[in-house]
Amino acid sequence: MDIISQLQEQVNLIANLAFNTIGTLQRDAPPNRISPNYPEPPAQPTEDGTTFSEQPKLMSTGLVKAAKQFDALVAALPIAEGGEEAQLKRIAELQAENDAIGQELQKQLEAAEKELHQVQELFSQASDNCLNLKKPDVN
Amino acid sequence: MATATYPPPPPYYRLYKDYLQNPDSAPEPPPPIEGTYVCFGANYTTSDVLPSLEEQGVRQLYSKGPNIDFKKELRSLNAELQLHILELADILIERPSQYARRVEEISTVFKNLHHLLNSLRPHQARATLIHILELQIQRRKQAVEDIKRRREEARSLLKEALTILDGQ
Repeated sequence: MDIISQLQEQVNLIANLAFNTIGTLQRDAPPNRISPNYPEPPAQPTEDGTTFSEQPKLMSTGLVKAAKQFDALVAALPIAEGGEEAQLKRIAELQAENDAIGQELQKQLEAAEKELHQVQELFSQASDNCLNLKKPDVN
Repeated sequence: MATATYPPPPPYYRLYKDYLQNPDSAPEPPPPIEGTYVCFGANYTTSDVLPSLEEQGVRQLYSKGPNIDFKKELRSLNAELQLHILELADILIERPSQYARRVEEISTVFKNLHHLLNSLRPHQARATLIHILELQIQRRKQAVEDIKRRREEARSLLKEALTILDGQ
């Protein structure tokens, strides 16, 4: 996949991780003690699977890793300095060079075809002479 | 279960009865559409240009200007995004009813990120074009060299044949 698509995928991945993190923490957080008038909230039974206190750490490491990956991808962007005008200038140069080479290729091709015809002509003459058992022409 | 047959071909096929004998007897195809057109009740436009952020009503966070340093802006937007996520987590702990503004700011950062990446696409297209042109020039040079070489070989073979014939 090309690098800009990879960058876009990485941005979407960071978005997914962000709302998964916030959503999970919000859904699973144990109740908090707000006012000293009321007693401590009853302790919740331990969750099945990963303990709740480890989840923020796991998810935040995932987020930070995704962000670092994004930075690494940005560093790998092959953007040459100069912007649009430099690119357009280079394209014009390459087009001119391409045309010149194309002309030369055309010339070479025509010369080669002419020589091919000459050789074919000579060959047909030589083979005719062979068939008629005459002495071969020297030209 | 009822099945429907395919719709019949458009009735103006009869106008092209003598097309093979006389191509001018049949009407020309319609010219290509320019500008905006309506298709199945929706409006479409023929020029596909990326609309700027202001047109979409989103605040632009990265610096404007003729030449944007994409890498720097992308990195700073990434850092700002992380900061906003942290702020959201903090605000959910202390003042949970004020989450809406933070969420809106996070979505603005995301929209800016995607807009920046989309505006890199024309650059990528031009770079691809440059690459293709370079490849084509290289192939043509190779072809010229090959033809020259073959012609030389053929010429030397003919000379050799000539000297052999002269020797007899």
